Amino acid sequence: MVTDDGQLYTIEGIAAALMIVVTAYLVVSTTTVLTQQDVHIIDLQLQQLGNDALAMMDTPNKYGDESNLSSLVKGNKTNEFHNQFLAYLNVESGSGMVSGNYEYNATIYYRNISGINSFSFDESQEYYRENAVKVSRWVSLKEFNPSPQYIPYLEPGNRTVLLEVQLWRE
Amino acid sequence: MARMNENGQWIVMLGFIISIILVFLALIVNQSALVGKTTSESVLEFPKSEIQDLRAEIMEYCWTGDLSLYETTLNQTFHDISLERKGSVIFFDYNETQGLIYIHFNDGFTAYNETTWGGN
Repeated sequence: MVTDDGQLYTIEGIAAALMIVVTAYLVVSTTTVLTQQDVHIIDLQLQQLGNDALAMMDTPNKYGDESNLSSLVKGNKTNEFHNQFLAYLNVESGSGMVSGNYEYNATIYYRNISGINSFSFDESQEYYRENAVKVSRWVSLKEFNPSPQYIPYLEPGNRTVLLEVQLWRE
Repeated sequence: MARMNENGQWIVMLGFIISIILVFLALIVNQSALVGKTTSESVLEFPKSEIQDLRAEIMEYCWTGDLSLYETTLNQTFHDISLERKGSVIFFDYNETQGLIYIHFNDGFTAYNETTWGGN
């Protein structure tokens, strides 16, 4: 026999159960979003860092001078590029250990008669689909005289190429 | 219903209020997590460095006085490479008699137009 005793308790029980379920859902979804947010902030900082490093290398000492980056790319000085770029990325106050572990992969994109070509400039390590960001910088090569091995078929003269750097932490 | 024990109604009501407050607090925390994501996404999307880089490159030609000589080549380089590698449209025009440089940049999210004397 069904009695109508305790109806209020039943309603209260259902309401409480609903609230617990909704709260649990909100809390669980909150924690999963938090990890994604971290990734974006790290990406943002890494991209800014890479762009700043390239901008510093591409800034000449005075108007009309050739920038450091231009002369490194022009002369195919990959060792010096490696040292300077990593030095800028790892700049810190002087105490404590270097926190970086940055790896990069630099490619030159240039335009000639046949279209757009790429040339692998320098890489610190093979890229295996780590979480990477891409930064780039237009590099002007004044009075560039190409050799067949280095940036092939780029016409001589004042040229601009795009240096694209894929940047990630190991 | 008449036989229901009506003791402790305050405690039951406070329990209700507290659980409702908990739901709202969870809602707020849930929303706040999205804030960092969306702001960093919009900063990532904004092409600040690209525009600074483009201006710097044009000025480098301008300082050495090569801009009018290499205007066509540089425009073609910018146009083709940026469309293929960055998905953005770049155009600039140099008016030699007035010394004015017009710069246009558009990556689909942000459009940037500038007319400058080329001094900076």
